[in-house]
Amino acid sequence: MPQFLAGCAKNGASTLPTNPPANPFLAWFGVDEAMLRRVMAELTSRGATHADAYFQHARNNTIVMEDGIVSQAYSNIEQGVGLRVVMGDQVGFAFTEELTEQAMLAAARTAATIASGKPGPRPEQFTYRDDRRGYYQTKVAWSDIGIDKKLPRIQKAEAMTRAGDPTIKKVSVYWSDSEERVMVVNRDGRIVTDARPMARMSVSVTAQKNGVTQSNGSNIAGRRGFEFFDDASLQQVTKEAVERTMVLFDARRPPAGELPVILAAGASGILLHEAIGHGLEADFNRKGTSIYASMLGQKIAPDFCTIIDDAQLDSERGALNVDDEGSETERTVLVENGVLRTYLHDQISADHYKIKSTGSGRRESYKHAPMPRMRCTFMANGPHTREEIIESVKGTGIIAQTFTNGQVQIGAGDYTFYIKNGWLVENGKITAPIKDVNIIGNGPESLKRITMAANDSKLDTGGWTCGKDGQGVPVSQGLPTVLVSKLTVGGENKNA
Amino acid sequence: MRKELLDIAAAAVAAAKQAGASDAFASASRTRSVNFELRNGKLEKVEDSTSRSLGLRLFANGRYSVHSTTDLRPDQVKAFVANGVAITRALQPDPHRKLADRALYPKQLPALDLEDTKLGKLDRDKRMQWLRAMNDRVATAPKVISATSSVNDDTSIVAAVSSNGFQHAYESTSVGYSTSITLDDGERRPEDWMGAWGRHLDTLPAVEGIADEALRLVRARLGMKKGPTKRATMVVDARAAANIVGRLLGPANGGSVQQERSFWRGKIGKQIVSKKLTIVDDPLIARGLGSRPFDGEGIAAAKLPLVEAGVFQNIYVDTYYASKLGQKPTTGSGSNRVVSLGSRGRDALIGAAKDGIYVTSWLGGNMDSTTGDFSLGARGHMIEGGALGAPIGEINVTGNIVELFTNLVEIGNDPWKYSSTLSPTLVFENVQFSGA
Repeated sequence: MPQFLAGCAKNGASTLPTNPPANPFLAWFGVDEAMLRRVMAELTSRGATHADAYFQHARNNTIVMEDGIVSQAYSNIEQGVGLRVVMGDQVGFAFTEELTEQAMLAAARTAATIASGKPGPRPEQFTYRDDRRGYYQTKVAWSDIGIDKKLPRIQKAEAMTRAGDPTIKKVSVYWSDSEERVMVVNRDGRIVTDARPMARMSVSVTAQKNGVTQSNGSNIAGRRGFEFFDDASLQQVTKEAVERTMVLFDARRPPAGELPVILAAGASGILLHEAIGHGLEADFNRKGTSIYASMLGQKIAPDFCTIIDDAQLDSERGALNVDDEGSETERTVLVENGVLRTYLHDQISADHYKIKSTGSGRRESYKHAPMPRMRCTFMANGPHTREEIIESVKGTGIIAQTFTNGQVQIGAGDYTFYIKNGWLVENGKITAPIKDVNIIGNGPESLKRITMAANDSKLDTGGWTCGKDGQGVPVSQGLPTVLVSKLTVGGENKNA
Repeated sequence: MRKELLDIAAAAVAAAKQAGASDAFASASRTRSVNFELRNGKLEKVEDSTSRSLGLRLFANGRYSVHSTTDLRPDQVKAFVANGVAITRALQPDPHRKLADRALYPKQLPALDLEDTKLGKLDRDKRMQWLRAMNDRVATAPKVISATSSVNDDTSIVAAVSSNGFQHAYESTSVGYSTSITLDDGERRPEDWMGAWGRHLDTLPAVEGIADEALRLVRARLGMKKGPTKRATMVVDARAAANIVGRLLGPANGGSVQQERSFWRGKIGKQIVSKKLTIVDDPLIARGLGSRPFDGEGIAAAKLPLVEAGVFQNIYVDTYYASKLGQKPTTGSGSNRVVSLGSRGRDALIGAAKDGIYVTSWLGGNMDSTTGDFSLGARGHMIEGGALGAPIGEINVTGNIVELFTNLVEIGNDPWKYSSTLSPTLVFENVQFSGA
């Protein structure tokens, strides 16, 4: 395997003025500038407002411990190039896993069929940006770590989990590490590269008490190296997995209907992701299909609500040095003191709205064309405290603590998220654990109903993957403790 | 192409043996996917790509691992296999890991008619003609903000070779088109869709009908109100039924049962849900969307009764979990899941329900596979006096999936055809809704 240049451009981009003798990324993919020039010429042969080639090599390793032994491992290599031609709002796309000139030219010809004009500008010179701005610094790279180093960490996590409670019957530990090499070749000759690590550990627990079986789990993830799985991380994920399982034995369903919902700090950022985040992805707004399509500049939430989508948070799962179109990433303030400021843009929507991309053009892999996507979405601190918020609930309400998934209908604005663990609140006091509750609400209505936000904003450490049009991308989310005065709680009322 | 893929798989197995593996199962596949999308009269997306990959299951010294790659250059495949064997050796031994029993492999493959050879002749003009026909029916209709029509088709070959005598390949195709529409309804912008998919072109209905139906469905959403909080009869549209049938069957697999994360555990052979419910997994349906001649381990396709008159009969179990559970393997994964039909259609079932809620689609939600407790977002219509009433949304349906299917009172005769889970309209009593 070729090695990558170490230590270049940790902070700020480096632009190499001349053609380097052996650019590691070109060498990695087995291509040279002359070949790229011909591929880009074919790609732009019928005209283009944008055109790019997205080279990617992704390697993932998964190891599973089940029934006390580490006896399953999975490795996956995906390598290919996605070729895209953009003509205004129109996209032609093709990919190939054969990185030969012949295969790339054929894919470029296919992508070019979206356009029907004269040849457009194409690169004669290339400039290089190794845009590793250091948002995911790793101490120990995954390529330096053999499976023999991973096994003891997995076994330790399993033992820590088993020791968590005598009623535990089954423990599974899923380990996953991956590395991606990305090289985006743009029509203007910019070649932007990035190397992206990812680490994730997930622990599942099944326990049995008095003939009743319950199971649950937890996971942690980040753009991190081997050092991520230190004792503190293992302690956190295994403790969470055990606690979240054991509490289910006492958990019940809350009443059905509209209740005040307190969102616990951290993972509750899923509220933002579903209630507003997707609705602010600019492709939906450009097409007029989002409920937020005519709300730019309007007051949509209380003054204390500032919502940010940030690609620059150190080693977060949603962190990105550059996006998948080769654009610089940024900290995008979506809602500032309650006012809707901007959508999340890729190049197509940025052109449409005649502004700069927010660096939100992302794709699952070289097999897909990019779209505007979230990165790390969170709300800044509010003026209240968690205690004040809990005490403010008169009558019955709930606290949403952990989540499994959510979804949204972009146009209707209805969204959901699923609470795996939470608490019942009665007259300002936490009274009992709850479980398995779907929450449904309407995005703009819910934002108006945020009545309190605490000063304890934090990001979740779990590994979230966001799905859109069949493409999954890693994201992060966060929230301070927040009170939504009324949301529909999928509980149960015993009387017919 | 078939020979080339069989050669790649065979070479991977040989390389694995040479690198020290005791056994190996390799599958090589190639898929061409074409996707055209037209929005508001303008071609918005053209995608056309051919993907190849090699998957390898390795056994060495009682150890096991699985690997895949899209880099099929011979020298790279060799390195990939050697790396895979090295990973395998580093794991702990597991006596339950072995290749499938060769007696379970197919002697010859059944004729399932999964390939439409005419699909190769499908050209850009024909795709554009369909897209324009769909677009023209709906794009300029009142209140339409956005109308997107798409055409997709896939052509695949899978070839698999094992070190204990498996060697088969098969071709398959799929083709379909759909229209999705967003309407202007004041603050809200309701959306809905209709589509049709099949293995063969000649099984698809006319494109115009698809577009018309999409427009009818989304127009029915205009004026949507928040649904009520109540216990009521729930009629689930055939298109939405696959979701809850899938949730009932989700934990019916060896891994979940052996890991004690399944409400199917300890229930085989027992009457668990309504006697009205019978579900068979049938991989042998000619032209079926989920049909296949063999599964991922090479086990020959066979019908598998899952639920018979409310009795839980079988689970999906592969060679590994069968060995752990001390039973025979069935198959590790589902194919076509077929719900036995009743005698009446949707309208008759809504008429018989008199009052309740008709669910047309789900939004999010989840289920605990250990207990069966679920809670799902939904939308649909009120049922009033045996007729469809106002459109409603922003409601949850909450309960336990086993209890829900115990309260299954009637099954329709109108399966949604464009899914591998073939379910008709389903009627459940005493279901908890939460809304306003």
